[in-house]
Amino acid sequence: MSAPAEIRKAQALAVAVQSRLGLGHLLLLLLSFAAVLVGAYAWAWQIRHGMVGTGLMRPVAWGVYITNFVFWVGIAHSGTLISAILFLFRARFRTAVYRVAEAMTVFGVMTAGLFPIIHLGRPWFAYWLFPYPNQRHLWVNFRSPLLWDVFAVSTYFIISATFLFVGMVPDAAALRGPAKGWRRTLYSLLSVGWRGTTGEWRHFTRAYLFFAALATPLVISVHSVVSWDFAVAMLPGWHSTLFPPYFVAGAIFSGVAMVVTLLVPLRKALGLEDVIGPRHLDMLGRVILLTSLIVTYAYILEFSLAFWGPPSAERATLIYRATGPTAWQFWIMIAGNSVVPLLLFAPRIRRSPAALLPIAVGVNVGMWLERFVIITASLANDRLPYLRRVYHPRPVEWAITVGAFGWFFFWFLLFVKLLPAISISELKEEAGHAGTPAQMGRSGD
Amino acid sequence: MGGDDKLSMQRRTFLKIASAAGLDVGCSPPHAPAKLYSYLTPPQDVIPGIPVFYRSVCRECSAGCSVTARTREGRVVKLEGNPDDPISGGALCARGQASLQRLYAPDRHRAPARADGHGGLSPAGWDEVLREVAGALRTARERGRAGAVRFLTRPEPGSAGTLQRAFLAGLGAPPEARIVYDPLDVPALRAAGRRLFGRDELPVFDLGAARSVVAFGADFLETWLSPVELTRGFTRGRGRVGPERTRLAWVGPRLSATGVSADVWLSARAGTERIVALGLLRWLLDPGNAVPDLAPEAGAVRRLVEPFDPAAVEDRTGVAAEELALLGRELATRRPCAILGPGLGATGSDATDLAAAVQLINHVLGNVGRTVLYGLDPRIDPPAPPSALAGLVADMAAGKVDLLFLHHADPAGTLPPQLGFEDAAGRVGLVVSFADRPDASSRVARQILPDDHPLEAFGDLTPRAGLVQIDQPAMRPLFQTRAASQALLDLARLLPLPALSGTTDFHDYFLEQTKDLAMRSAGPKGDLEAARRAAQERGGWRFPASPAAVTLDARGLRPFPLPPRPPEGFTLVPFATPLRGPGTAGLPWLREIPDPTSAISWEPWIELSPAAAARLGVETGDVLEVGGAAAVELAAYVYPGLRDDCAAVPFGPELLRLLPARWEKPSGGLDWLAVRPVLRKTGRRVELPRMSVGAEPEAEATFLQYVSAASPRARRPEPAEQMYPPPPEPVHRWAMAIDLDRCTGCQACVVACYAENNVAVVGPARAIEGRTMAWLRIERYFTPGRRGHGADFLPMLCQQCGSAPCEPVCPVYATYHNPEGLNAQVYNRCVGTRYCSNNCPYKVREFNYLDPDFPYPLNLQLNPDVTVRSKGVMEKCTFCVQRIRLAENRARDEGRPVRDGDVVTACAQACPGRAIVFGDAKDPASRVSRLRSDPRGYAVLGELNTRPAITYLARVREPA
Repeated sequence: MSAPAEIRKAQALAVAVQSRLGLGHLLLLLLSFAAVLVGAYAWAWQIRHGMVGTGLMRPVAWGVYITNFVFWVGIAHSGTLISAILFLFRARFRTAVYRVAEAMTVFGVMTAGLFPIIHLGRPWFAYWLFPYPNQRHLWVNFRSPLLWDVFAVSTYFIISATFLFVGMVPDAAALRGPAKGWRRTLYSLLSVGWRGTTGEWRHFTRAYLFFAALATPLVISVHSVVSWDFAVAMLPGWHSTLFPPYFVAGAIFSGVAMVVTLLVPLRKALGLEDVIGPRHLDMLGRVILLTSLIVTYAYILEFSLAFWGPPSAERATLIYRATGPTAWQFWIMIAGNSVVPLLLFAPRIRRSPAALLPIAVGVNVGMWLERFVIITASLANDRLPYLRRVYHPRPVEWAITVGAFGWFFFWFLLFVKLLPAISISELKEEAGHAGTPAQMGRSGD
Repeated sequence: MGGDDKLSMQRRTFLKIASAAGLDVGCSPPHAPAKLYSYLTPPQDVIPGIPVFYRSVCRECSAGCSVTARTREGRVVKLEGNPDDPISGGALCARGQASLQRLYAPDRHRAPARADGHGGLSPAGWDEVLREVAGALRTARERGRAGAVRFLTRPEPGSAGTLQRAFLAGLGAPPEARIVYDPLDVPALRAAGRRLFGRDELPVFDLGAARSVVAFGADFLETWLSPVELTRGFTRGRGRVGPERTRLAWVGPRLSATGVSADVWLSARAGTERIVALGLLRWLLDPGNAVPDLAPEAGAVRRLVEPFDPAAVEDRTGVAAEELALLGRELATRRPCAILGPGLGATGSDATDLAAAVQLINHVLGNVGRTVLYGLDPRIDPPAPPSALAGLVADMAAGKVDLLFLHHADPAGTLPPQLGFEDAAGRVGLVVSFADRPDASSRVARQILPDDHPLEAFGDLTPRAGLVQIDQPAMRPLFQTRAASQALLDLARLLPLPALSGTTDFHDYFLEQTKDLAMRSAGPKGDLEAARRAAQERGGWRFPASPAAVTLDARGLRPFPLPPRPPEGFTLVPFATPLRGPGTAGLPWLREIPDPTSAISWEPWIELSPAAAARLGVETGDVLEVGGAAAVELAAYVYPGLRDDCAAVPFGPELLRLLPARWEKPSGGLDWLAVRPVLRKTGRRVELPRMSVGAEPEAEATFLQYVSAASPRARRPEPAEQMYPPPPEPVHRWAMAIDLDRCTGCQACVVACYAENNVAVVGPARAIEGRTMAWLRIERYFTPGRRGHGADFLPMLCQQCGSAPCEPVCPVYATYHNPEGLNAQVYNRCVGTRYCSNNCPYKVREFNYLDPDFPYPLNLQLNPDVTVRSKGVMEKCTFCVQRIRLAENRARDEGRPVRDGDVVTACAQACPGRAIVFGDAKDPASRVSRLRSDPRGYAVLGELNTRPAITYLARVREPA
């Protein structure tokens, strides 16, 4: 087939995929909306009655909510990594997956951003964390890592949302043509009058490059800042210079695993097995494997540093993590993050969606538990043994956590239905460059 | 001005304003007060915002401490000790302070009440109730059954007691009709005094003079006799440096909070304290040990204790011969000493013998007259032995009692139900109670004549020879209550009772009764009124009194028989603490604050040693069915400070149900050790509300330091470099020193903190979750001692760090360093990130998980100087910043700098051991500055370089 035919085919595919989402999609959408309602009810209850419904107590003042915050910020990482960093490195396998990853980033940050507010004792005063001029001359404390979080997360949200929006402009224009009714209005708005002229394309590609360059340092900075919430504190098990790189690697690890978790069912549902082929899964599997090894190295380093010097509170905390009453969490985390991903050394497993999906879900579970263990087990093993107490999350915390997943999937499912889940313009570009879509996977990079 | 523009309002504008105003009125809250009144003629003494202090008396136990009541705008907000009082010396125990919650108890009787015939009570008017009671009394008198009236009362050594006696005499009742009952009395000590010295009284102990103290189960730092006074005396001796420091030995099967303060624990089998005491006596009198300066009767006494040789003692008690010898040697050289006993946990069937043995040791060592003082008990209105209540109950059951008055005596709540008080009360014609709130005994009352709280009424009390405490009202009665004495006078008027016809008002009666005292203090030409006023201001009259010389009564010297070895199996050891003793039920502070040794609050429990628990397969939280006089279910708590052959239960209704009503013959006291419980696992588990749930590995308490008496020097890490410059503290740097050698874990400071700072009581469910709000807690660590097990107390509160980890992490500056060195917490600004708590190495910040609840009238106790915090904010110790501000403002008004001692935090004020000293570290002459450089001083977790404002003075302990 000729290149123009391929381009037309890509266009047709992109338009067709959305109509392939039927009743199952609608049910999932309703299910996730129901979960949002559950979470909203739980949060309303919590605002009404106070944090008494949580399992938090002295000495464990942070629990599931902060775990969820770090987890979702981590999820939000891979989007930018895949779309921006891999774009800069011209890793062409990203084409098929980056839109999903970017959307995941935006929705991940949207979910993560809720948790610092949910976990506040007085969430109705959350705006006090912003340095806004006021007649009482109240100001925020720029020494506090929580304030850095406010800036890191809001910056990240703005940049990633803009990145997603800008990247989608030509695609929205492509969908505008066949669409009717309110969809047409939607795509018209999103395409901001895109006509596909050479000048527009020139500006678009430059702008996209600049955004990619701008977003790249954020990948490093956001999770470094999040890790400072812990590293800056003087709590044994938190206070470590290891945390920023360890958290960034962990974030990419969990984020890519989340991309796989979403992509494998999605390619099936959308019939994109041709576009997102074993080659792409293989590449994602390699990223997971690499980051898994980095995270494992960090675990080893954490322990060996604590056991290097004289007995310390830090060593006691690490021993507590591995042998204390909540040791099962630690060992599930080790299994999910360090042991099972070693299977990805086998190319056959990397290329098999059926094998990759459970591994990726295991990584997600392991990474959630990693944050949970770091936060709660370090606090539980207090310096003053008199106060030591084990934290058990309570129903209201689980309900809000479920609500957060619902919130994330609600937006994501809406996205795949309404907006192009794969980049039409880049697919066309691939097609134009390489002939057939089937070849693209093999020669793309 | 022209006529046209004088009023520019148009019709439209007028309507706008009118409708807006109408809307406003419609929106105004319906519960807004209809009318507001301001003071037209302000009441005397009340300046809004300025506290007024009144002296009064604490009636929680029989020690008779004088107290200072701080009032604000006409209501009492805090109780403190009276520094002019020779008993309390200005301190006040946990119970005394919780008396405030009796005043403001939500379940207080708010008006007289009478039985409604359906098992309940219905409110009634005073006239009505008094008429009915007077009618019943008149009937009894007319039928010639005045002897069938009984008046059960607490000790009233003052005009109230005189009035009661006069009332009964006027009625024609015999003196025996009035029965004085004190659940905290030590009848065995009275009996021993009778037997050995012919003195029917309780001795007074001057522990400040003692160089060594041995307590035979006597929890003298908690509930025994006069705990505040004894703690003060004991800790005065603890404050002496080097070998002069008072040493304490604790003898008993269970390490009580008093035992925790001891240097040596002789873990004797339950109920064998007497054998240990007699073995000790024999050792001291053994010519081979050459103890010098023994009393002349030594030889005679020696013959009485011949069988108690060390081997026999070891066999019976489990106390090794060498331990006994060590203790004997110590007592022989460290004189004067003081031997105390018996306490509740040592009061068995031989309590009088134990008390006699204890007093014999005191006598032969020459302590009597030096540390053990007879002749200071005023012997006014002494309590009858509790066995007298058995007689009363028998009379009641036999129908010999027509009318029973209960005056702050609660036999059903303080003696075993096996006594049958409640059943017998059914045979009594009329039971009248003066109870201020429901208690176990007044359940059977058909008429309630609610008494005023001592802070609402006049009275006087003579707890000691030459010492008359004046009970002064500090506020008007909250409810329709009436002082019991006044109610008696009213009854006398209604009957009528000619003997009491001269007075209708109890205050007049009180003035009449105390006239002699006023005249004596005023002197021959003095102003009576001025003398009264001075006494009222000071808290009472103090006249010189000296102890009497006593001699050993040879007739009392009977040989002590050596009992056989006690049988194997568990013994039930009861114990009382300041938080859990007779009469403490339903006082929220005492229930919320954890027990000092077990850290359990709210619920009762049964203690087992780790070995015993392992043998029974029991863990903390397992519910056991405990078989005694009745079967009781109690949750187990595994306590290392207990012998393996004991089970210990704190004072409470559960303990009483277990006990049979068996009396110790010579003293008439209850045999508290009569139960050998049968323990059975029920298979159920409960969560106990415990502040400390961990296993507390001993080796990890590395932040506790010990020094030896010989070289008291603690380790202090060199302060490390700081990234930020030290905070500017131009005038003051408030600081505190806590002497761990003086801390007895009595929790008085904790209650004081709750009262002063409006700390919320959260209840058992929240306590299980670990969400109690205490700003100050006393941590307890099990630490192996020189011999056997030991424990330490560590009061933990905000350290007001110079380089505070909580400050930089708060995103909104809700916590910041103020220019006086305090870590201020701005509740209004706090959004509740709880990061400060995470970063606090001492975990002294408390988060409000829910809005606090102060049910009426408990809300009247709230200190108006301190904000009540709402849900979602952090709170913590402020070093009583409101007191600092008050002192600073006062100093500024008087145009002088703040002097050392002007600011006393609530905890420091309350501490009977004077372990807490507060002051300005920038004033080099202040006491706290000197203590900060004390060689024993160190900072807990000082290696973290937080530069805390609190210096702990290490506990003195002999090297292992």
